[in-house]
Amino acid sequence: MAKARALDKRRKSIRNIRKITRTMELIATARYRKAMERATAVTDFTQRITQIVAQLSSTGAEAQHPLLETHPTTEKGLLLILSANRGLCGGYNASVVRAAMAQYRQWTTAGDDRSALELTIEVSGTRGNSALQHRGVAVDQLYRDFDDQPGYAEVEAIADKYIDAYVKGEIDRLDVVYTRFVSLAKQEAVVETLLPFGSLAQDEAAAGEVDYEFYPSAEGILAEIVPMSFRAKLFKCFLDAAVSEQIARMVAMKSATENADDMIKRLSMTYNRARQSQITNEIMEIIAGAEALSQ
Amino acid sequence: MAELHVVVVTPEKTAVDETAEFAVVPLYDGEFGVGIGHTPFIGKLGHGELRLRSGGETTRYFIDEGFVQVRDNTVVVLTGKVVHVDDIDVKAAQAQLKEALEMVPTTDDAFAQRDRMLEQARAQLHASRRHF
Repeated sequence: MAKARALDKRRKSIRNIRKITRTMELIATARYRKAMERATAVTDFTQRITQIVAQLSSTGAEAQHPLLETHPTTEKGLLLILSANRGLCGGYNASVVRAAMAQYRQWTTAGDDRSALELTIEVSGTRGNSALQHRGVAVDQLYRDFDDQPGYAEVEAIADKYIDAYVKGEIDRLDVVYTRFVSLAKQEAVVETLLPFGSLAQDEAAAGEVDYEFYPSAEGILAEIVPMSFRAKLFKCFLDAAVSEQIARMVAMKSATENADDMIKRLSMTYNRARQSQITNEIMEIIAGAEALSQ
Repeated sequence: MAELHVVVVTPEKTAVDETAEFAVVPLYDGEFGVGIGHTPFIGKLGHGELRLRSGGETTRYFIDEGFVQVRDNTVVVLTGKVVHVDDIDVKAAQAQLKEALEMVPTTDDAFAQRDRMLEQARAQLHASRRHF
């Protein structure tokens, strides 16, 4: 009896695990939808900014802003790593950390044309934090309040801090490691340089058909639009990371549920076999006993 | 009759999407009225009140910096933060005003920061007070 009962117990516990993974999958799906909506909203916002920028640059205005200027020497870098607060999301955290470590090694070793950078590491998400510390990387700042719906106000505060540091020359470069959302089937961990802020995205095709009045002036507005555009870009990184995390969790939990299904099937078969052989055994014993009595 | 289509977009969502007969947007140095058939315009916004008049009713929002684009009877406001005047956190604004007034700035940066905080707090209080 012992074997069949043990098998049944295992099957029960796998059923419970399956219930949990299935629920997590559903939760991740719901969260993914919400996160996706927000990501679409920020895309709308950045597109409108791009439109305005295109209009402005069609007047021949040149943007002048400290964020657009590359510092003469790059000595101090800041690496912001966006990971998840929770696990059970497949390779999501691992791939972010891998990308971050590659960048970290590249920066901390001197190259042919440059010396090693003085690095500040900032991490969002406890998982990335513990993974980095395990690899002996000192984390200077940990943000843990970004989950599936990062708030703009919080990201804005971080963005303003970076803008301030960059303008003051406390950092010469800012890279963000995050998981970019390409499509539902594809998300990739990437390292993106946010500062120095490359050229403002310019769409020449859209420009020039309407004559706008500018107030204060095209140059003035361009200079003001740079920080806003930077904040939106950083916010987009956070949102992309949130969307990718939910997708990763969805996929991981889906395959976990499927694996549990397979296991339950296999265990059921073994269990039935064990039960049957036990019954056969018992019948044989009874027959043997009856025969012994009748003799 | 032609109408103004007013859209307020923040990075988080499209907060306002309404039609109006007349809109007032807070430019950085004063208010700016937009009527139907306004010429194409792009301007920088400060802290202040966005008012939309439609059918004799006025809706008010508080806007915290950004940009406005007017074109073909469409007013697009890009901003980091927009709140309906009824939802302004008066206590937080008062606290911010108090804090800013107590600051003793010594550098240009600190002065600029204090001025910005003062302006932001005062504009919020102003927008919420007007309503009563």
